[in-house]
Amino acid sequence: MVGKPQHITIAFDVMGSDHGPLEVVRGAAQLSLESPHIHALLVGDRPVIDEALASIKHNGERISVHHAGDFVGMDEKPGEALARKPESSVAVAARLVAEGEAHALVSAGNTGAGVLACKRHFQLIPGVRRAALATVYPTRGVRGAKQDPFSLILDVGATVEATAEDLVAFAVMGSAYARIISRNERPKVALLSNGVEPQKGPPRVVEAHQRLSQMSGLNFTGNVEGIDIPRGTVDVIVTDGFVGNVCLKMLEGVHDTVMELAQYAYKESLRWRAGLAMLSSGIERLKDITDWEQYGGAPILGFDRIFIKAHGRSKARAIANAGKVAAKAVANELGTAIQEGLAK
Amino acid sequence: MSLPDRIDPRPPRRIYRWDLDKTYLQTDFESLRDLFRTAFQKAHEKVAIPGASALIRELAEQGDSRLCIVSGSPKQMRAVLEEKLKLDGIQWDEFVLKDNVSNLLRGRFRALRGQVGYKLPVILESRIHAPVEAEEVLFGDDAEADAFIYSLYADLIAGRVDERVLAQVLEAGGVYPDDAARVHEAWKKIPIADPVRRIFIHLDRLTPPAHFTAYGPRVVPIFNYFQAALVLLADGHLTAPQVLKIAVEMVQTAGHNIITLSNSFQDLLRRGLPLQQAAIALSQAMEGPNALLKAMRPVPDILAAFSKRLAALGTQPPPPRVQAVDYVSLISHALPRTHKGRSTKPPP
Repeated sequence: MVGKPQHITIAFDVMGSDHGPLEVVRGAAQLSLESPHIHALLVGDRPVIDEALASIKHNGERISVHHAGDFVGMDEKPGEALARKPESSVAVAARLVAEGEAHALVSAGNTGAGVLACKRHFQLIPGVRRAALATVYPTRGVRGAKQDPFSLILDVGATVEATAEDLVAFAVMGSAYARIISRNERPKVALLSNGVEPQKGPPRVVEAHQRLSQMSGLNFTGNVEGIDIPRGTVDVIVTDGFVGNVCLKMLEGVHDTVMELAQYAYKESLRWRAGLAMLSSGIERLKDITDWEQYGGAPILGFDRIFIKAHGRSKARAIANAGKVAAKAVANELGTAIQEGLAK
Repeated sequence: MSLPDRIDPRPPRRIYRWDLDKTYLQTDFESLRDLFRTAFQKAHEKVAIPGASALIRELAEQGDSRLCIVSGSPKQMRAVLEEKLKLDGIQWDEFVLKDNVSNLLRGRFRALRGQVGYKLPVILESRIHAPVEAEEVLFGDDAEADAFIYSLYADLIAGRVDERVLAQVLEAGGVYPDDAARVHEAWKKIPIADPVRRIFIHLDRLTPPAHFTAYGPRVVPIFNYFQAALVLLADGHLTAPQVLKIAVEMVQTAGHNIITLSNSFQDLLRRGLPLQQAAIALSQAMEGPNALLKAMRPVPDILAAFSKRLAALGTQPPPPRVQAVDYVSLISHALPRTHKGRSTKPPP
């Protein structure tokens, strides 16, 4: 496990995001200006990074570059791509973190490749059998000292079939993460099921419910239903990777459909347009509150090193914030917190 | 000192020209409040940029150089600034400050903020008395027009700029006729030579380094004085133990560490500066018994950090291209920041 370092180095997988290397370099440059204790290790095509850096305001004392000549594209199959491209930026970045050259990894590239690279190079925390991919979702409620409007859902795709033991570990990991990142002293943790009653759901969920109810040090509130996700009833929602991924995609689909309907309404009728215009300041406020770029990214939990997966569409600000989230997780020894949580 | 030295001191082999504010001293005058604070600061309250005083002291170590300081600070600050330099153990040969009271009384308002009409004649006049073979290294910052003025100075005395271009530049730069006349007069008195080896621009405002590409590889933008020391080691102005002394000062007084120093080293490599030999010399110096270097221990970690930064780059980037500087198109970057004609876009 990585101890508490004085200076934190974050390895950025520069290549492979939707906006190309420039946005990631800009994000790291922004981080170098804003956070003196964080150093950025940019992993990717050196000439491309150098050209971008030379024309961006940055602090050269806080940035270094590691050349990686290949990268995994968004549309590539992770396993095949990593086997074919062992020197891809995400693989090299994960290796550098494992070797101690950096304390955490941030990538806005192919999620599967990122998770697989971590599986190959990082170790699972003792007591964790499988890693979980978490994501944040904007909700009606706010939580923690940061007044965070985001709740954490895990797993959303790393472990398709989770056992009761895995779900318990996910709950502990999610709780530790929310405590550290959202500064939420006692985050409310719940299992996603088809009813709030303890006996509802498949056997693994029922068993996990029993075990979580008996755990001290965890603010387990029981089961929640899908409807509770956007309501923000709890701070951490635990499920397996299959259900989590279906939920996530459905929530994204609903969001996109609402936006399309709003655009349709705007074009269709003058009255509707006027109505939307009157609501515009409120909509802007809502956008501010639920702006995922301020969160930066979501973690892969369970490994001895930190991996923050930034959204593929991340711009510089989101990348910089993902770097800050990663640094915060390192500084607050997230791995140790998870390990201690599992021991209780 | 021997008798002949006292009567007729050795001519300087090297001349180091320094700006003061934002180059040697950490100065804030972005707002009126900052300006007042700076004006009333006592000598001991002024803070040198990490590594700057150590670099000046080490450059003077050989005893065959001159330190010429030209600052845009008003003459009224001479006592405080001299006291600060003395506190830092700096000995200078020339120290020129701006006569802004005279500018104000004579209604020369352009001259209050203008740098070209002030610095260019001063450094040209200083060069008149220098031996032809004396090399120069110049230190400025990215706040105003140092890269432009120093490059123009270097190319003027090397005979690479003609009279027509100089006249255009002085006119576009809003230089008053008497200052322009001083420039022409001094220039004519200087024998043609190419003595300016490097122009270091301290990136106080963190201006992107590409902003200075148009001035060619002679201009080296630097984030800190360890970078300047590395380049001067490669150029033969400093020895490896001297560079380490500068690094030690930066570590001890400004919180620099292995990561910031090795990142600074790699930053220069990525810009194509040939520092491999300098790195080898530094490694050898660190393995030596010098007690001072204990501050830089653990040595293996430092060597490993430097080696890793070097290896991480893969193939070495090519050295920067040498090119003629187009002063007429660059003059808009040398105008005072408040000037409406000043360009904010990077030079082509």
